[in-house]
Amino acid sequence: MPAVEMQGITKYFASSQVLANDAVDLSVGQGEVHALVGENGAGKTTLMNILFGLTRPDRGTIRLNGTPVQIPHPNEAIRLGIGMVHQHFKLVPSFTVAQNILLGIEPSRYGLLDQRDENAAVKKLADEFGLPVDPAAVVGELSVGLQQRVEILKALQREARILILDEPTAVLTPQEARELFTVIRDLAKRGQTVIFITHKLLEVIEVADQVSVMRAGRMIGSKPVRETNLKEMARMMVGREVLLTVDKKPVEPGEIVLEVEHLLVAGVGGHTAISDLSFNVRAGEIVGIAGVSGNGQTELVDAITGLQPVDGGTIRLLRNEITNQPVGDRREQGMAHIPEDRLRTGLNLETNLDENVIVSRYREPEFQHYGLQDRAHIQKLAEWVVTQFSVASARPGEDIATLSGGNLQKVVLGRELSGSPKLIIANQPTRGLDVGSIEFVHRTLVDARDRGAAVLLISVELDEILALSDRILVLFRGRIAGEFQDEQATKEQLGILMAGGVIEEEAS
Amino acid sequence: MNEIQISQDIITLAVIRSGIRLATPIILGALGFAICSRAGVLNFAIEGMMLFGAFAAIVAAFLLGNTYLGVVVAILAGGLIGAFFAAVYLKYRVDLVILALALNLFIAEMTVFFLRVVFGAFGSWSDPSIQQLPEINIPLLDQIPILGPLLSGHNIIVYTSWFASFALYVVLFHTRFGRHIRAVGENQSAAETVGIDVARVKIFVLILSGCLAALGGAFLSVGHLTLFTRDMTGGRGWLAVTASLFGLNHPIGVLFTGLFFGFADAFAVRLQTVTDIPPSLVQFLPNVAALVALVLVGARGKLREELARRRFRQRAQQEVAATVVTPAE
Ligand SMILES: Nc1ncnc2c1ncn2[C@@H]1O[C@H](COP(=O)(O)OP(=O)(O)OP(=O)(O)O)[C@@H](O)[C@H]1O
Ligand SMILES: [Mg+2]
Repeated sequence: MPAVEMQGITKYFASSQVLANDAVDLSVGQGEVHALVGENGAGKTTLMNILFGLTRPDRGTIRLNGTPVQIPHPNEAIRLGIGMVHQHFKLVPSFTVAQNILLGIEPSRYGLLDQRDENAAVKKLADEFGLPVDPAAVVGELSVGLQQRVEILKALQREARILILDEPTAVLTPQEARELFTVIRDLAKRGQTVIFITHKLLEVIEVADQVSVMRAGRMIGSKPVRETNLKEMARMMVGREVLLTVDKKPVEPGEIVLEVEHLLVAGVGGHTAISDLSFNVRAGEIVGIAGVSGNGQTELVDAITGLQPVDGGTIRLLRNEITNQPVGDRREQGMAHIPEDRLRTGLNLETNLDENVIVSRYREPEFQHYGLQDRAHIQKLAEWVVTQFSVASARPGEDIATLSGGNLQKVVLGRELSGSPKLIIANQPTRGLDVGSIEFVHRTLVDARDRGAAVLLISVELDEILALSDRILVLFRGRIAGEFQDEQATKEQLGILMAGGVIEEEAS
Repeated sequence: MNEIQISQDIITLAVIRSGIRLATPIILGALGFAICSRAGVLNFAIEGMMLFGAFAAIVAAFLLGNTYLGVVVAILAGGLIGAFFAAVYLKYRVDLVILALALNLFIAEMTVFFLRVVFGAFGSWSDPSIQQLPEINIPLLDQIPILGPLLSGHNIIVYTSWFASFALYVVLFHTRFGRHIRAVGENQSAAETVGIDVARVKIFVLILSGCLAALGGAFLSVGHLTLFTRDMTGGRGWLAVTASLFGLNHPIGVLFTGLFFGFADAFAVRLQTVTDIPPSLVQFLPNVAALVALVLVGARGKLREELARRRFRQRAQQEVAATVVTPAE
């Protein structure tokens, strides 16, 4: 008997006129690791929100171990033994690990709390499941991977038998992801049922027993992972053949566009983030910066784009020193920035498409009319972005808050590439995107390069770095640990340098 | 010798006692603001709630013939305003700041209106039948030299404000409910997903802050004098907001910043009587203190970051210098 059985689940969002789930069936066996994949906006999160009681379905039934249930509220889901780890963690940063795990179910005597009792309870839980954490550590100071572990423990403390993970690896480093997979496998061995949403098909092969594929609100199919492969899954997801590799013309580097010399940047709290870093990017080439996240990528990008002050060294854009220039001036000289966090830095979800596409270009005379905004012109730009980048279900003048992750990213891309920039800083440009969208983003970046733009690509995905870059720099602890021409680099070599190792020189 | 003489003249027991008195409404209002902030509710209506408490206290004391009952009524009235605030905010999702400004203006005008209609008074009102809140002498404590005369002999509201600071500290940091309040304030959706009733928490803090602020107001109208004048809070509610921010919304911190503002006020009054400094300049003193406090709170994070950055630059320069000296590997 399956642990979870969802039948004929249908959900229509009137506000965005989207049929997010269209008579979806899903069946998950007890103790199974079940991967849920599908394009951005396919309806995966919606389906899981319904299972967790966050969204009410219009139609459909849910059975747990054969018993029909109603789940009107997360409290009911928790009572039924369902736990969910959301993509954006729901933790209180200033609270300790124990305080977060026990939030809402604190043991207390006459309403008074006892820190020691709490820490002991969490310690016991962590030992039981083999998930070591420091109960007294403050959550806001933990790495993303550990925060996620706290979320998992939070669900386990509430005796979850069914664990839902929404894109758990999107925010993790490859190492952290590997650890998570071990945890998932262990949980399954103990009889826990795990459903996880992902865009990375390699992960499906690595951890899942069963995979279900959704497309445009429908369930396309469900298969044991053993009986399928990458290509087939990609085809099921997108509905056509997907190029898993990028083909591009040989590189023809032109003049130096971005020049960074002896750059020195402090991280939060004054530790060394970037130390004496020098490199350049030429017109018509893609330079990839590989590295485990947290090795100075954020600070490097913020320094180049002007979001953070520089503590030493110089940055030049087309021979012009821009080290201390404000963001707007840099953009006027042809810099585009695809930020790492599209929700917080990249877009303003509280306003409409037009304002989101014009934010980086409103100063240009083209969009002004006697000092006022030229609405008609801005609307035209919004339309151009929607058609050129096929942003599904977005319309000029309308809000963007309910667009799926992939479509939001396309809005950012469209805006940043609209003015034919000379330098493109692309920081994790495909984070959280489906294979089809990734293919699109990669194509777009390569096209921009072929057009003569200089592209600086920062990514924690080695495959992405290898697929796109003409030149690769490995960033380790704020310094360049190695440089490769594209063809010379192998995944193993990069991996060693990223971990702080040294490559043995062969006789040169 | 001369200097010492002056300082003894300026800071007397009476000045400190009056500082404690002047601090009381500020502490109570600040506690109200702090508890709301902890739950993520920006309560800028402290000024209005305080004024409402002042009005309710004196009117009830007059009608019921008992000042203590007047204070109780003021507390209840404050709670009612808080409940009204919560209802409008939670039910109709009115913007908090706008709501608070409206409430402040409305209460200011309403008290003037009722003074005129009911008591036929313009500007200010009092009645000889109203008794001031009695001073309480604390046995044993009043025997101790210096400390006794300082701390004993205040009225019930003064002691309540001190007690409330400690009580709120215990509630916020050592009880389940307090932890839930802080969770709601820091990450509402985290609280929601574990089944904490967010609306209940917000209603509670708004009602409590109404009670506290109104109690502070009661102190103004029946605590020291027995008089109500139009706009009698005169910005003390806003000073309370400042004290709360300056005290980092921590109940014990708030107790001290509230006292600080009270002393600044008392000191300013004292300066007027013992020096020739123009009164307009002296009266400005507490406000300057408030301004400095706000700037400090606002710049706290920035300052820390800037200092860290400066240290980093020095360190990095030394490092670079060192690597230049050592030959390349
Ligand atoms: N609250 C909502 N109101 C209106 N429309 C919504 C809402 N939530 C989701 N949608 C729409 O429903 C569709 C499915 O969204 P959902 O978040 O389930 O996709 P997803 O498969 O999780 O995508 P992604 O991989 O990008 O996270 C999208 O078109 C989205 O715009
Ligand atoms: Mg999703």
